[in-house]
Amino acid sequence: MEYLAIVFSPWALLTIFIGAFAGVAIGGMPGLTATMAVGLLVPFTYTMDPAMGLMLLGGIYAGAMYGGSIPAILLNTPGTPAAVATAIEGYPMSRAGRAPLALKTSVIASFAGGTFSVFILLLFAPFLARQALAFGPAETFLLALMGLAGIISIADENSSLLKALIAGVLGMIIAIIGTDDMSGSLRYTMGLVELYDGIDFMPALIGLFSMIQMLELAGQKSHEIDTSALEKEQKGEKLPRGIGKYMGLGAGTGTLIGILPGEGATIAAFISYNLSKRISKTKELFGKGNPEGIAAAEAGNNGCVGGSLVPTITLGIPGNSVAAALMGAFIIHGMIPGPDLFTEYADRTYPFIISLFVANGVFLAVGLFFAPYLARIALVPPAIMVPVVAAFAVLGSYALNNSVFDIYLMIAFALGGLVLKKLGYSLEALILGLILGPIAEGGFSQGMIIGKGSPWIFFDSNIAKVMWVIILALLVPPLYSYWKHVHKAGKAAG
Amino acid sequence: MQKKWADRALLAVFILMAVLLYRSTAGYPGIAQSTSAKYVRFLAVFIGVLCLAQLGFGLVRDHGRDILVLTGNRRRFLALLVGLGLFAIAFEPLGFYLSGAIFIPAIGWILGYRRPLVLGLTTAGVLGFVYAVFVQLLSVRLPGIEIF
Repeated sequence: MEYLAIVFSPWALLTIFIGAFAGVAIGGMPGLTATMAVGLLVPFTYTMDPAMGLMLLGGIYAGAMYGGSIPAILLNTPGTPAAVATAIEGYPMSRAGRAPLALKTSVIASFAGGTFSVFILLLFAPFLARQALAFGPAETFLLALMGLAGIISIADENSSLLKALIAGVLGMIIAIIGTDDMSGSLRYTMGLVELYDGIDFMPALIGLFSMIQMLELAGQKSHEIDTSALEKEQKGEKLPRGIGKYMGLGAGTGTLIGILPGEGATIAAFISYNLSKRISKTKELFGKGNPEGIAAAEAGNNGCVGGSLVPTITLGIPGNSVAAALMGAFIIHGMIPGPDLFTEYADRTYPFIISLFVANGVFLAVGLFFAPYLARIALVPPAIMVPVVAAFAVLGSYALNNSVFDIYLMIAFALGGLVLKKLGYSLEALILGLILGPIAEGGFSQGMIIGKGSPWIFFDSNIAKVMWVIILALLVPPLYSYWKHVHKAGKAAG
Repeated sequence: MQKKWADRALLAVFILMAVLLYRSTAGYPGIAQSTSAKYVRFLAVFIGVLCLAQLGFGLVRDHGRDILVLTGNRRRFLALLVGLGLFAIAFEPLGFYLSGAIFIPAIGWILGYRRPLVLGLTTAGVLGFVYAVFVQLLSVRLPGIEIF
């Protein structure tokens, strides 16, 4: 009751409303993503009341996941990558004058997926966090390895498996810059005082996920969006019967995928979409405007919200890049992920989780009543959007440590990240490596001390053994399918 | 430059970095030799092996002639980069408001937006928003000469 009172206080409700509404608007702008928005705003929540700051960011996360579907349906321009699958079905529906049904399906599915995943978060997070009490340094190291094993599944058609791993390890190498905790000596700081504490991951995150998008937008040849569906006469329809099945499928799949480290909303949406295609009785309508596909994809990407927060706040392993940015917010407020969040900081963590239910309600209302109007946000010209977001990126990079060096760092990460991205390296893997690096090093070094230099410490306990099994289970299937892919390609070439 | 050559050059740099990283651990002091140094060596070997494997795969399989294109419009891309650099340099001496009041409309103009009134109003809106929300509400300290 105490936590409910915090969430339902007027200021908190206003904060959640602003967050969710801003999230829908940001998600609705092509080129702007939830990671970018949350990453940009984390430094600014530093001076806010921690619970309020987290509620604001949580609202943005939930809202942005849904917001991407609006221009995807009405303009064939997905606001976020996670809404690509929605565009495949939503835009043909809009062209056929069925936009209201597509929008309604999208918002209700997003609400269902989001609410279900937050419920799972509320149910399992405290339990999982309690298990973390039994973790010693060896298990912590294995936990980081488990997060890195998730990197393998980040690999897609744009970034090969090897390149995803290289990017992840590169992130871990960048993370070793700074003072060595074991000896107190400086490593690879090049005499720069600003690097003594290491590379803060917030400027890196802003550079990799906000500034890169602005650099790409600035360099785009043209920005033409088909607005014909907006002018077309649209008819209202009821939700088709049996659509709940696809929402349930998406919600479950999205939540599960969200829990796996490294897996993002885009993958969740596509897997849910493909599964719905498989079980649908109207397979022939897929690609031509099938609301079942929208229901599964949207429930899938919003299901990721709660799912991705499960490993983030319980074990400190971010489920995806947005969760990584949110983890940054927890850390800057002194809330280290783990059991303490549900005991010492329960008055902040539980209101944050409960606020996600409210945020889902807010975007449901916003979507049902304002979605067609919000599609116009996608028409904001990049020439206006780029300098504004770039100014916030500079401000956000500076604000956390009041350091101009962090601005340079952000620009360097944006430029370097762009080259890596164009060559097919995964930036999500890079940022995960950067975050997991210190966790892995701390666990490894302490484990080696406890084990008196013997690596067997990492195989000793029962938890460690179970964790190795999970790591292998995460690694073997993608490695096997990669090997098959390489083998097939080799045969075709030879 | 062709993508495959850019990738090979990058992988070669990473391999060189891995070698240097490995060698650097010899200088780690005291207890770090049995802890951090082992971890860093592990990373160096890991990335070195991965890069060698990728380089090998690339040499055998990648016969593409795709060109590495960082941007579709070099002038605008460079303008934004230079603008960002100047914004960062001016951030402390001029303060956020003054440098932002130049940066936002200048970049908007360079990117092809030709409606001064909208650019002016957007700039004023952003600066006003930052002042009201971040400075007044959230007490974020911004550097340099303030115009408010």
